[in-house]
Amino acid sequence: MLKYYFKIALRNLWLQKGFSAINIIGLAIGLACFIMIALYVTDELSYDRYNEKADRIYRINSDIRFGGTDLNMAVSADPMGATLKKDYPQVEDFTRLYASEGSKLFKRGTQFITEDRVTYADSNLFNVFTFPSLIGNTKTALNEPNTVVINETTAKKYFTTSENAMGKMMECKDDKTQLYKVTAVIKGIPKNSHFNFDFFLSMDNVEYEFGNFLSHNFHTYILLKAGTDYKAFNKNFIQVIDKYILPQAKQFMNIKSMEDFAKSGNKIEYSLIPLTAIHLHSERNVELSANGNIQYVYIFSAVAIFILLIACINFMNLSTARSAGRAKEVGIRKVLGTEKKSLIGQFLTESTITVFIALFIAVGITWLSLSWFNNLAGKAMQLSTLLKPQYMIFLATLPFVVGTLAGMYPAFFLSSFQPITVLKGKINAGFKKSTLRSSLVIFQFAASIILIIGTIIIYKQLNYIQTTKTGFNKDQLLVVDNASMKTSTAETFRNEVSKLAGVKASSFGGFLPVSNSSRNDQTFFTDAVMSDKNGFNMQVWRVDYNYIPTLGMEILSGRNFSEQYGSDSSALIINETLAKSLGPGDPIGKAIYNSDGPDKPTRAYTIIGVVKNFNFESLRKNVAPLCMRLGNNKWMSAYRVESGDIKSLLAKVEDKFKAMSPGMPFNYSFLDDSFDNMYREEQRVGKVALTFALLAVLIACLGLFGLATYMAEQRTKEIGVRKVLGATVPNIVTMLSKDFLKLVFIAFLIAAPIAWLAMHEWLKDFAFRTNIGWWIFIIAGVVAMSIALFTVSFQAIKAAIANPLKSLKAD
Amino acid sequence: MIQLKKSYKYYNTGSRKAYVLSDISLDIAAGEFVSIMGPSGSGKSTLLHILGLLEEPNDGEYLFLGENVSHLTEKKRTELRRNQIGFVFQAYHLIDELTVYENIETPLLYKGLNSSERKSRVAELLDKFNIVGRKDLFPSQLSGGQQQLVGIARAIAGNPKVIFADEPTGNLHSEQATEIMELFKKLNEQEKVTIVQVTHSEHNATYGNRIIRLKDGLVVQ
Ligand SMILES: Nc1ncnc2c1ncn2[C@@H]1O[C@H](COP(=O)(O)OP(=O)(O)OP(=O)(O)O)[C@@H](O)[C@H]1O
Ligand SMILES: [Mg+2]
Repeated sequence: MLKYYFKIALRNLWLQKGFSAINIIGLAIGLACFIMIALYVTDELSYDRYNEKADRIYRINSDIRFGGTDLNMAVSADPMGATLKKDYPQVEDFTRLYASEGSKLFKRGTQFITEDRVTYADSNLFNVFTFPSLIGNTKTALNEPNTVVINETTAKKYFTTSENAMGKMMECKDDKTQLYKVTAVIKGIPKNSHFNFDFFLSMDNVEYEFGNFLSHNFHTYILLKAGTDYKAFNKNFIQVIDKYILPQAKQFMNIKSMEDFAKSGNKIEYSLIPLTAIHLHSERNVELSANGNIQYVYIFSAVAIFILLIACINFMNLSTARSAGRAKEVGIRKVLGTEKKSLIGQFLTESTITVFIALFIAVGITWLSLSWFNNLAGKAMQLSTLLKPQYMIFLATLPFVVGTLAGMYPAFFLSSFQPITVLKGKINAGFKKSTLRSSLVIFQFAASIILIIGTIIIYKQLNYIQTTKTGFNKDQLLVVDNASMKTSTAETFRNEVSKLAGVKASSFGGFLPVSNSSRNDQTFFTDAVMSDKNGFNMQVWRVDYNYIPTLGMEILSGRNFSEQYGSDSSALIINETLAKSLGPGDPIGKAIYNSDGPDKPTRAYTIIGVVKNFNFESLRKNVAPLCMRLGNNKWMSAYRVESGDIKSLLAKVEDKFKAMSPGMPFNYSFLDDSFDNMYREEQRVGKVALTFALLAVLIACLGLFGLATYMAEQRTKEIGVRKVLGATVPNIVTMLSKDFLKLVFIAFLIAAPIAWLAMHEWLKDFAFRTNIGWWIFIIAGVVAMSIALFTVSFQAIKAAIANPLKSLKAD
Repeated sequence: MIQLKKSYKYYNTGSRKAYVLSDISLDIAAGEFVSIMGPSGSGKSTLLHILGLLEEPNDGEYLFLGENVSHLTEKKRTELRRNQIGFVFQAYHLIDELTVYENIETPLLYKGLNSSERKSRVAELLDKFNIVGRKDLFPSQLSGGQQQLVGIARAIAGNPKVIFADEPTGNLHSEQATEIMELFKKLNEQEKVTIVQVTHSEHNATYGNRIIRLKDGLVVQ
């Protein structure tokens, strides 16, 4: 019997080619979207889980509030790991990364190459994390100073093969030159890791005043013994603070006790975060890479389910609509003595087979478009992930579930009729206006409209970020890395470049209002007698005389630094946020204080100007307090360029650089690019959302198209009669389209408030956000209506202009 | 073989009952060839549907093969239809999606015959009806008479005891009609199949050995 069902199913698919194509393609696209999003979500959830000890590894986070500023950091003090291991038997091991120095230059042949992914690491890094070695013993590789572990790609880049790299020396240049011996080559860290480095230098080479509990510069990971509850373990930090941190803090400033410190609104807290939670749940200062966001995982999961539902509903709607055309067949079969259960079996087999075909096509589509999607989403997903048992089970059951849902209605509905009723053709009328089908169409369009509105708002926010007044002019600002130059050379270089036509202004300064540039957080005091009562933290940026004009910042009151004033070395220009927090009254002329250490003298600084607030972190955050003072660092230079031919200007700058700094890489960036990079995640989400919203609409329209085709087909005779009686083409088109448009309109009424709520929630994440204009809803509504109208009227017009006699004769 | 006693059939049209059949009593013995005649709307089709277990009378008693079928479950009725009854329609009612061969095979499938049994039975029928050459065509590729031949082949495929035919020649030319009638006669005489047909043609009615006339839902003769 099953063989017979199969035969009939395939026959029916073939005989109704157009219909089957719409049905299968719609479902296949939907399934492909679903599979791709599922891969995406799985990838997001898989971060760091490949580590064999993943469930026992935790990172120490530090939360410090001082003087009203909060610092939530992914780093902690260097002695913290060792202290925990010494005092708490639950701690099996710890390991640290020191990545604060940023990029370094490595020599290949005669040329130096800038390497960004460089860190110092404790020698037991490879005991805690699972980074398999290709050559060399990683367990001991970093035991000695002047050693480095590199990954395969790097080995190939510098030494052509991994074998070649082993034991070779690598020349590294930052402030000075240092030789490192390659002691192991690892297989490259998987892409789904919250950090990724190409070079691991021995921790022994770090120049740092170790033992300081008050400086937070190390990413510290601890390995807890199996069965340890990390939340309970967090309580131990109170003792750690009492025993180690307080004594040091007391030396530095006048803190009597932790309670006293807390009473002034300050806090020091440490906590553990599970390794596997970092990627999706951690958005702290000094993360090792831009992490994902659990919110997006939720959003995309919802989108995936939406699309799957839309596609399945399509499938069900089309199948049920078409099955009305098969009422006659059912009637005959019943007359011939078919049992209800074998009719049900037939319909279910048919729909299940269709879903299987769609599934195969979907896997094919996924296979073809995965590299494109990887590119879009910035990932390295592989189709082989689908071979995991949970996927296999899911994909294997899906056709049965969807097939049953889609086949059930026609199966049970049609087979429950008296055969003669069906043969007399009485049930078709009831089939045309099915409330179930109407509700399903409404649901589909509501989901599509929600996606359309969501996408428009995401794009509007992205646009807002890009065009909003950020307090500085990010356009056409060229930033050149001078780190490889001597100070005097850097100065000559800047002077030379400034003379080039098209360069309007220039400045030295590594502190730039985009992420991944220098930051310097310091504690200041409003009173010369420093205590925890009058202290506060802020950014202190070292700039030069030209910094503010070059970056196009605006001085609201007071003045810029000037060479005419000899005393400007202790002058500060503060931002609006800081001016406000200093209290009422003109801040110009006020003094604030700090000191470089417990036994260093207190210095007074005078405020000479207030600069308009500018965003120097993501627009998700409010502008934190900041001040600028004169500095002398020359490792970056910035140029305001106004030239029609940026390319040739850039080539000239590069020539000058190469001439003055032979063998060194010319690294430059444009500030607006760096600025856009800060929102890459949002941009990706925007693009992914746009893609899937469009596909969702497409699928819904395919469904609508199929339904309209079917309706028109069903009503050919009626249309013929109406035309003979004098109906015009517009009459007929209106008659056929009206009902569908009504459904789409109801869908819009349902979707609008849901979309508003959801997007309102999403925007809350941004301190600076666009408003949700009512016109967005109008646009989404009009778009949905027009697409629906276009889809339906295509069929309606076709039916309306057909020769009426033809359809009447045929019956 | 068929005994209908004091049976009524009505439809509720608005507030009152519209009687389609009233007080019908019939006796048809095994091996008979009966023609039902009467003006349009007199209830012929309805009567045939009742006899063929496709509809139930509102009142009265119906014995089919000596068994009271008035209150049988749908499952039981299906079983009887599958094993004892064959139907032929004026509109042929072949399944458009199936070939000639498959249309004839369908009732056998439901009877649970295995594939080789089905094959030989269908081959036998194709041969008997002279349609071997058309076995792979679809109904839309056949003329009306050819379709009706397939319809009859399908009706007798399962070796039913009785065939109910509702105006089997209503859509056919007279030559084609004669062919079908001859076929019925042959089936009735050689294979002892009971046949009940509805017809508007006095000539066709004479192929049978008895005529039942209906008028306004009553048996008039
Ligand atoms: N579902 C129904 N509801 C109401 N009346 C019905 C229904 N089905 C049939 N009738 C009526 O029952 C009567 C008998 O119908 P039937 O089809 O049995 O007539 P018939 O004798 O076969 O006519 P014809 O020769 O035209 O085929 C008709 O008057 C018809 O209107
Ligand atoms: Mg009739």
